[in-house]
Amino acid sequence: MTHDKPLGGTENLVTLDGDSIRKATSGMDLAQRIEGRLAYATDQRHISGLLYGAILRSSFAHALITRVDVSRALEMPGVHSVIKAEDVPGLNRFGIVIRDQPVFCDERVRYEGDSIAAVAADTPEQARAALDVIKVDYQPLPVVSDAALAEQQTALHGPHEEHGGSNLLARETLERGDIDDAFSRCAVVVEHHYQTPRQMHAFMETEGGVAIPDDKGGVLFRVGCQSGHRDAEQLADILGVDHEQVTVESTATGGAFGGKDELTVQPAAGLLALKTGRPVMIHLDRFESCRTGMKRHPVSVKMTTGCDADGRLLAHKVEAMLDTGAYASLGPAVLENYLDHATAPLYKIEAYRVSGRLVYTNNGVCGAFRGFGGNQATFAVESQLDALASKLDMKPTTFRRINLRSPGDAGSRNQTVRWTAPPANVLAAAVASPLWSLHGAETGRWLTGTGMAMGAQGNGLGDGLPDSGGGRISLSPAGRICVEFGFTDYGQNIVESITRSVCNEVGCLESDVEVVLGSSRGPDSGPTSASRSSVLVHGVLASVLPGWMDVVRGHAARLSGMAEEGLRLGPGGVFCNGQQVLSYRELAEDGNLEGMAANASQDFPVAPDSEHPVGRYLQLQIATVARVAVDRLTGRVRVTDLHHVTAAGRVIYPPGYLGQIEGAAVMGQGMALTEDMATRDGRYLADNLDQYLIPTFHDAPIQRVDVLDDTPEDDPFPIRGVGELGIEAVAPAITAAIEMATGVRVRRLPVDPGDLLVAMAAQEKTP
Amino acid sequence: MSDHYQVPETPAQESLSFELNGETVTRTAASAETLLDILRESGEITSARAGCRVGRCGACQVLLDGRAVPSCLVMAWQLPGHHVETVEGLGKDPDFLSVRDALASESALQCGYCTPGFAVSLVAGLRQHRQGSPVDLAESVAGNLCRCTGYGGLRRAIDQLSASCCPDEADGRGPSLSEEPL
Repeated sequence: MTHDKPLGGTENLVTLDGDSIRKATSGMDLAQRIEGRLAYATDQRHISGLLYGAILRSSFAHALITRVDVSRALEMPGVHSVIKAEDVPGLNRFGIVIRDQPVFCDERVRYEGDSIAAVAADTPEQARAALDVIKVDYQPLPVVSDAALAEQQTALHGPHEEHGGSNLLARETLERGDIDDAFSRCAVVVEHHYQTPRQMHAFMETEGGVAIPDDKGGVLFRVGCQSGHRDAEQLADILGVDHEQVTVESTATGGAFGGKDELTVQPAAGLLALKTGRPVMIHLDRFESCRTGMKRHPVSVKMTTGCDADGRLLAHKVEAMLDTGAYASLGPAVLENYLDHATAPLYKIEAYRVSGRLVYTNNGVCGAFRGFGGNQATFAVESQLDALASKLDMKPTTFRRINLRSPGDAGSRNQTVRWTAPPANVLAAAVASPLWSLHGAETGRWLTGTGMAMGAQGNGLGDGLPDSGGGRISLSPAGRICVEFGFTDYGQNIVESITRSVCNEVGCLESDVEVVLGSSRGPDSGPTSASRSSVLVHGVLASVLPGWMDVVRGHAARLSGMAEEGLRLGPGGVFCNGQQVLSYRELAEDGNLEGMAANASQDFPVAPDSEHPVGRYLQLQIATVARVAVDRLTGRVRVTDLHHVTAAGRVIYPPGYLGQIEGAAVMGQGMALTEDMATRDGRYLADNLDQYLIPTFHDAPIQRVDVLDDTPEDDPFPIRGVGELGIEAVAPAITAAIEMATGVRVRRLPVDPGDLLVAMAAQEKTP
Repeated sequence: MSDHYQVPETPAQESLSFELNGETVTRTAASAETLLDILRESGEITSARAGCRVGRCGACQVLLDGRAVPSCLVMAWQLPGHHVETVEGLGKDPDFLSVRDALASESALQCGYCTPGFAVSLVAGLRQHRQGSPVDLAESVAGNLCRCTGYGGLRRAIDQLSASCCPDEADGRGPSLSEEPL
């Protein structure tokens, strides 16, 4: 098979290589992280009077609880307090979308990570020893372990509960055109089942942090999280205190990826802190994190897709089943995003019916995870396109080129869309990848192959969800330009991006800027999720900075006696004709800091049409080319190279952009090849990182990221968030490459080496 | 769970001395307590972090007599007479400074939680090289996991370190099947 020649239109393509990274890297806080000087949420052991908490988890995946006896635990050495459901003064429930998860279960446990009681003691060992003597009587219930059967089985949530009475938590259908008519006109139709795994976030810092009580009945939380304001609201309701009595302060967080979006240890730590009047730290170990923590929704889907004899897509039908586990968390929003991506946003399809069901089971809890359902859908959609191309004996790249949308087209749901480059140009750059030159080669025991896939992703929370964010800018008493946002920093280079944006607008030095993040007392920027922070940061700064600079120049004019018109802000202070008139410090020392502060808030940009879905207005694209080597003896797959072409607006901070794409891609590789928290009868089969294998340095491929920036000069949203884009197209690119190497198309992830070998052997026997 | 559950007796605590970052320290610990817990309990060492407690992730990596080991697998009874180093004590060590500068200039970290562990492994690799052993620096981080970066920055940092310290022995890339690398 030969491949297309470059299709042109790639002059705005820039490779983010080592040189561009070294030039741009800001040493800002890297050294303190390398030297171990930065304290993470679970490093805060210097707090005076600190107690350690531990949480009792369920012994069953599904059972009624008839008795919880904590009397012996209270007598154990070092124990200060033992609490259970009846000790929750406020609402014994939490959840971002639907509050259906108990802080402590009182009647029923629904997964093996459910909490029943918690202990605070002088040492972690004493706390854990006390858990061992809490007596719980259970009456086991039938375990709902298969999503496909869940709707016919015992309902996990009773009829009196919101969304209870049935294990069907949500269902939704997106439709366009007359699908029956469209299928009747297809020359080729392919139908396949796809399965994606229950991936674990596996952030290196497991869930944890400290709750510190004040002397007025309130609590300060310093816990790894993704949304200080939203957490503070839920925690106040649980603790039964006024909202202003709860403060959530952001700390350095050792990774999140969506897995810290929901409350984790905060409720138990806060309740114990109030009960004992002492600060309480809870830090889950990896075993407990695996057992209790959030996972990616496993999806089982049947897709039927057809096109005419020229390869034009006509009809597309999707029936998906998502297992959300015991509680809703963000499941309904994940379903919605899955379905959006299952409509194949990059391609024109005459008619589709895309439907999905979200069910409760006793298999852990699933929620937010980088990609948010989108990458699961893209895996299946892109595989369908390859299957149709193969039936027509057409190159997969040609097939895509025929069907890609043009920038002027409406989106897949008829909404207005802002692309930052024509999709055909992204494809053309991927077709020109050097990785194609060695396709289908054989080297001893290794079979090598190259494959590609594309993906689109919208920024923002999506349809119908309140989505706004605010920020504040001021001059600090020390004379630094202080920028505050409510976002949290868990390694996504947000501090560097904000600093770079301020420097670009103001013309100041990096050292002039101080970024303050993530306090629930500061501006509410909404959650740090959905690739939304960069867009909001840019929007807020663009709206607030010009006015703020005018105010500062006004102050400088009064102080210096010079005309305001001649003054401008620059490195270190205010300038006139290239000469510094006042430093920022001198301006600050004059006082009137309140007069030099400004707030701004903005709604997340949505499509300006009222009849259509409002989300997915700001669209990003990626094409990923993968080269793999398959071991003929073991069936193991090695990804040797990944080449990404991204069209995601302007690059503000190159190391951050590159790191997000590369990091997400390797996470997607893990999902494709090794990662699955498999369950049996509602129990996880793996409990630590020696069984659940995430990619190591030696598994990671050589990667190249080319940025295609055709963003129009006058685009009001030139900055887009790239935190999730890199994971979008990796898995289908890898399975396409495996197909080129072996002839076998894998539709169930992670790729099972044994199954792959069997399929390869079966194929050799077939003439 | 049985009603007759017996609470295990607290294991005997013993006093033990070892060298930590160049100074002799004395700690009280049970003989099976891990070095990781001993280090963190004092509150002075936070760079060694519990990522898995089974020796897989390398977030608790320290130098024990100059060799990189996961401190969650070293027990108290093994410590007397030995020297433990963490990044808190390596601030003036020339190998650590090269590692730090390479990691920072290549932006080889994101959340940074795993980074001190990677730094310790790389320092051990550089020291091994100075003692005359052939070394593949990429091999020295086989026991460390990072979930954020995708390892691209780390690869560049290791290439930079390999080029400056051991150009003849390794290219730092590990084996690649790519005849035409990207």
